[in-house]
This record gives sequence, C-alpha cells and structure tokens, in this order.
Amino acid sequence: MTMVQEMNDRSTPKRPEDKLTIWETLRRRPEMVTLTILVVICVAVSIINPNFLQPGSLIDMGRASVVTGLFALGVFAILAAGGIDVSFTAIAALTMYSLTKFVITVAPDLPMAAIIAIAVVAGALLGAVNGLLVHGLRVPSLIVTIGTQYLFRGILLAFVGTVWLMELPPQMTAFGKAALYQFQGANGVTVDLPAYFLIFPVVVGLAWFLFDRTLMGRAIFATGGNPEVAARLGYGQRVVHVFVFAFAGALAGLAGIIHVSATRMANPFDLVGTEIEVIAAVVLGGARITGGTGSVLGTVAGVLLITVVSNTLVLVGIPSTWQRLVVGAFILLAAAFFVRRKQKPKQRKAE
Amino acid sequence: MSDGHFLELRGIHKRFGGVHALRGVDVTIDTGVAYHLLGENGCGKSTFIKIISGAHAPSEGEIVLDGQAHGELSPIQSLEAGIETVYQDLSLLPNLSVVENVALGDQLVSGNGRLMRLLNRRRLRETAREAIRNVGLEPTAKLLGTMVGDLPLAIRQRVAIARAIAADARLVIMDEPTTSLTRHEVDALIELVGKLLERDVAVLFVTHKLEECYRIGGQAIIFRDGECISQGPIADYSRAELSHLMTGRELDTMRYRKGTPQAEEVLRVEGASSGAAFEDVAFSLKAGEVLGITGLSDSGRNEVALALAGHQPLSAGHFEISGARVHLDSPADAIARGMGYVPEDRLSEGLFLQKSIYQNEVTLILDRLRGRGGIVDKRKGREAASKISEAMNLNTGNIDLPVSALSGGNQQRVLIGRWLSIEPKLLVLHGPTVGVDVGSKDTIYRAIQAMAERGIGLIIVSDDLPELLQNCDRILVMNRGRLVDELDAATTDENRIYQSMLGSANEAA
Repeated sequence: MTMVQEMNDRSTPKRPEDKLTIWETLRRRPEMVTLTILVVICVAVSIINPNFLQPGSLIDMGRASVVTGLFALGVFAILAAGGIDVSFTAIAALTMYSLTKFVITVAPDLPMAAIIAIAVVAGALLGAVNGLLVHGLRVPSLIVTIGTQYLFRGILLAFVGTVWLMELPPQMTAFGKAALYQFQGANGVTVDLPAYFLIFPVVVGLAWFLFDRTLMGRAIFATGGNPEVAARLGYGQRVVHVFVFAFAGALAGLAGIIHVSATRMANPFDLVGTEIEVIAAVVLGGARITGGTGSVLGTVAGVLLITVVSNTLVLVGIPSTWQRLVVGAFILLAAAFFVRRKQKPKQRKAE
Repeated sequence: MSDGHFLELRGIHKRFGGVHALRGVDVTIDTGVAYHLLGENGCGKSTFIKIISGAHAPSEGEIVLDGQAHGELSPIQSLEAGIETVYQDLSLLPNLSVVENVALGDQLVSGNGRLMRLLNRRRLRETAREAIRNVGLEPTAKLLGTMVGDLPLAIRQRVAIARAIAADARLVIMDEPTTSLTRHEVDALIELVGKLLERDVAVLFVTHKLEECYRIGGQAIIFRDGECISQGPIADYSRAELSHLMTGRELDTMRYRKGTPQAEEVLRVEGASSGAAFEDVAFSLKAGEVLGITGLSDSGRNEVALALAGHQPLSAGHFEISGARVHLDSPADAIARGMGYVPEDRLSEGLFLQKSIYQNEVTLILDRLRGRGGIVDKRKGREAASKISEAMNLNTGNIDLPVSALSGGNQQRVLIGRWLSIEPKLLVLHGPTVGVDVGSKDTIYRAIQAMAERGIGLIIVSDDLPELLQNCDRILVMNRGRLVDELDAATTDENRIYQSMLGSANEAA
C-alpha cells in the first residue's frame, strides 16, 4: 500500500462502513509504528536531558543520518523488489576512493557538480552489474552481492590503493564545509548546518515520486509481491532488476562522495561493514525482507530511529556499549509485530 | 472480420521435443459465448490455452484473430486483442491494492510495457471503480485500497475478472475457477459469467466440474490426447457421453465401495466442540469403514477434519482411538496415534513440490529409516517409496521426479500414498479429488477402497456428492456446526443429501 493512495482514501468523504480501524491502519501502514516509537523516544530523551534539543546534537544526528539514509533508500528499493544487497557499501567505497584519487591526480579542477554526477553514474553502473548478474545467473541476490562486495572491495584495495587520502581537493573540502545556516549554541560555540544535508530530503522526495508516481515504482512492488505473476502481467523483470540495483548503486556512489567530503578524507577501509545497520534501518521502517512491502516514509523513520538510538543513549546515561542491545531488541520487536500484522484477526461470521 | 469469428485456430500442432502435445486442433471462438474446455489432465488443454495467450508458439498451424492470420501470438498481441487469462493463482499481486491490480495493466499495455512512465493515478482509480462495479462489488475507498492478499478468495476472483473487464477483454479464459470456492461463491461466479457474456465477452472455462458446465451452458470443446475430438452445445451431451469422450472408456457410475467394515471400532468422537465452528459432534468409525462427512463450506465440516488432524484442539468433548481417550494438540500428536490427514490444498499444505517423489513419500518415516549414527538409510527409504508408488498405481517409473512435474491426480496419489508408509489406523481425506481429472479420480477411488480393505478407517470430508455416494458406507451431513443427518450411502441419493445440507431453515442456495 502506498502512502499517497492512503492519504487520498482518507481525504475522500466516507460512509461509516468505510472507516478503517486503528488496527487496520497499522496493518496497512507499519511505518506509523516506527514513527510513533521515534517520537516517543525523542520526547522521553528530551525530558531526561534537554541537551538533546540543542541545535548541536540535532545537527549531529542529521549529519549522521545522511549517508545511512541514502544507503537505506537504495536498499529499500531492492527489498521492495524482493531482493537484498550487501554490496552497496563496497560500491560506495570503490567509487569515493577512486574518484577522489582521480580528481587529485588527474583532474584537480573538476567542478563539484561534475564530481557528484560521476559518482552517481559510476555507482549506478556498478549496481547495474549486480542487477545483470542477479537476473542473468538466476542466483539469489544475497549470494550475488556477497560476491560483488568482495569483488568491488578487492578491486579497490588491490588496484586503486590502500593509503588514506588526507589532502582532499579543495572543491570537495568546500562542499563538505559549506554551511546552510549557522547556529549559536548555548555555550557560545557555533554549529553549522551543512549544505549537503539538503541532498537527503531531495533524494527522499525523488524516491517517493519514483515509487508512487511512476509505473516503475509499481513494477518494483509487483516484482517483490510475486515475480512470476509480475512477469506474466508484462512487467519486464530484467528492467526492474537492473533498475533497482542501479538505483541503489547510484545512491551508494552519492553517499560515498558525501562521506568523503564530510569526513574530509578518503579512507578505503571505510563504510564496508555498515551494511547490516542499514538493512536493519530499512526493516525497522516496515519493509519485509521477503519483498513487496515498505515505504519511503518508513525507511526514513527507520533511519532516524537507528540514528537517534545510536546518538542519544549517552545523553540519557546509558552506556554506548548498550547501543547494539537496544537496536537488536527493536529489530526483534518490529519483526514480531510485522509477523503478527500479517496474520489477520480472525473474522468470525456476522450471523 | 470477414467471417465474423473472433478467434479461429486452424490445424494447430505443438511439439515439445519428442512429445506431441497438440495434434491438429481446430477450434473457433466467438464473442458472447461460453466455452468449456474438457479433457483429462495431460490432454493438451493447458498447451492450448498457452498458445492462445501467447505463452507458447504453435509448431504448425495458424491463428486467425479478428480475421487476421498469425503464425503465432506474442503475449502483448494477445493482451491487446483482449484475451485475458485468469489462471488458478489468479495472477494477482498480493501486496498491491485492488485499484492497482485491476487497473495497472491498462496503463502498462497502453505504454507497450515501458516502465519509465508516469502513473496516471486518477485514470487508475476511475478504471478500477468502473470495473469493480461491473463485477458486482461496491467500489468503496476501503475495498479499493485493500491489498489483494487480504481479501477472501471469492473476492480475489472477482478482482481478477474486474481486471479482465478493465482491459476491455473480449475473451476471458478461466482455469478451473471454481476449484476452491464454496457453493454460494460458485453461484456468484456463474452469475458474473452471465454478465460477461451479456457484455459480448467470450468465456473459456477449463474445468473438471461437469455440473457447472451444464449450468452455464454454451459450447463444449472436448480434448483427448492432444486432439479436439468433439465440439458442440454442451446440452447435447450427456454426462456419460462426456466422460466417455474425455477418457475414451466407459466410466461406470457404479459404487466403488464393495467391502464391509470390520467389527473393531477405531474412532469414537463424543460431544466434540470447537469454539463457534462446530458443536456437540458425535460419531464412531470402524476399522475398514469409509465414512463421508459433508455439508456447506461453512457447516463446520472442514473444522471437524482439522480437529481430527490435530490442527485445532477441541474446546469440549473428546476423541477415543481404539477405546483410549486421546487429546490432540498438534498434527504430531495425531500422527503419533496413527491418525493421518490428507489436506484439501495439497499444493500449499501437503507436498514439498520441489522435492522428489521419493523424498515426499518418506517424510513420515524418516525416524524409522534412521540407521547408525542417525543417517537416513536411503536404500530402505527408496524401497518403501517404490512400494508406495506401486500401491498407489503412480504411472511414473521414476521416483526421483520432482512432485511439481506431476499432474494433479498423480500429486494427490503421492500425498495419499505417503500415509501408507506408517500404516495408519485412521486416515482423514479432505477433498481427495479436488482439481483432479476423471481418470485420476478412478485410481484414487480404487486406492481408497484398497486402504479400507487393509483395515484402515477412512473419513472423506468432501462436497463432491457423487464421490461420497460411490465410496462410503455412511454419510454424515453437517449444518451450522452440528451433525444433522446420517445416511446410508448405498441407498440414499444426491437430492436427499442436499436437503440435509441446506437444512429447512436455510434459504435455498
């Protein structure tokens, strides 16, 4: 079920028998649960420790969620189509490091817009390789992407380089530093709201549009729902497979370059290893690992939830080592809830 | 359009490697007419449908569509011409809404299958509303927004037909549409078919249920061994003629039940109730007896079957097996007590489709096959499986074939045969011949009787009345959760059973 359609449903005047019960609403829109948990946590944390509401910590969290968020939207597309991807971090690492090295050594004057465009295209091409392999070999995408994760990472470390690049090209440094707005913190420290933060909402908007307003979006869900039926009904499976993996790859390329610019160095050993956290965020947002479900809004909520949990435990006095424990518990709870959701409440006959 | 026929198939042959599936089929289809494609499994019906829908290309012959001759059709050509196929799985996407299932195809086909296009949500909604109304459903926002996977089967089927209407279908092919429907739902579907015919749509049924063919009327197309051996108004054929044409042999309507029950009682059910599903059910079963249980689909008969299988614990009352009281909490309990259950939906509940016949047959005795170090003794297992295949008259020599490669009748035999491996005291067969052709029915019935001869007590839960009359000693009839009648199968008839099923208080179906 898609977000917009549900909203339309709500806005049309309804007869009484048309009303959705709360249970049904939750069943249809699991992301509401994630959002609710998110809000509850935020309120609780800000009561215990008002520092949470400081622009400083909010911006920190926002910044932290950009890269995870971009990854997550890509993973969501693949989960929705019934696949899974664990190679996106390797795509991001390969793209960001090679591109940074390329800019430093070959084209130091390349404008930032071009760098971003190249990152997106290169990521998309690497992702498309995944898609072609998944479609062509008819091998489960988990296996394919485990293979390509090693492959991409191997290429990076064996042929491109293993040295940290500490001296970024100036245009990348500038991009990472550019501030949208400056906050004056309570303690007199100024905090920047980085400009690249804007990229996330823009991509969220684009992803929403893609899933909800294009035939491709529906084809992705159709494929995740039942690939055989989708093929029979005329949804080209090859196009869908290549598209979702290329989409995830493009977002990974973008995330990689943002990561480099924000951390102001290119570390070839970065990012790989964070796949599980990203997949966890998407699943927390209501996408089922078996495909065909979830929403962009839910994915964003899942990402924010994971980020908030990771960043606020310290604020309320819980040791940061507990982080994994809490995230793990959330994932299990969410899974239990979504399984229950699938089993409809028994409908007894009215008579 | 010179001769006015919508679709003509001329001299169609289809070969798959060495298999000659269709041998020169000529069939003419006009809009506004109902057709019933009849024949045993493996007679070429599915191949024929796939050629019409563009999934297969014929090896020989031509297809004349709206007066234009084609050597073969592509799926898109077929769809564009308005040929819609409603397969048994309905080709619905469970995770998309009713609106999307009904109307997305229209936008997909109009864009020639291109996916990078904007979705016209308003058109989607309007197309769906209109089509949903045409299949007799109220297009409320709630229904339209519901995911298809959450709908009951009968409604899903209407959604599938609505999709055909939304696509301006001129020929709707339905593959065994009534297999899992209740009597009321079948009535509703038949009414719907009438509406399609009124809209000048042709409807082609692939079915085993002759009774429904007669009710719907129209033309019969009878296939045997890849040939269309007869076509004409269905009313012109008698039941006996139809089965003779399909099988090539006389099918006796004789009773299969010849034996008599033994004296020993294997099962006694007393005061059994389960929530609102059934109440105060009591009966007994002797060794070697065949007992039928029937009723409308909401009569509680299915729940009784599930309770006997240990799927649904009783809320009151009890079962006695060979005189000992038992409490069944799980299917494992029931199996441990020698009670077998063959589910109605063999595909999703009973068989491991991708696994071989051998693997399917030994699932219940893996424990017994365990040799030294807990490793399964394959040789012993294969012997057991071969013996079962023989006993069940499975006409394939190869027990390594995956079950998915078998016809429906053979799959059912694998499923029933599995129980022979544990020599059960009692076997509950739930709809044993649902979706099975005439010839396979015969072998299944023979297998049932053979099991009774071995002293197994059998319960057949079914709404196929001729089946119960032919196979049972006694028939129990349920209505609204209660046992309302007990009939001697040798002397009663269908009408008498119907009356009990419907009950006097129930408005006639």
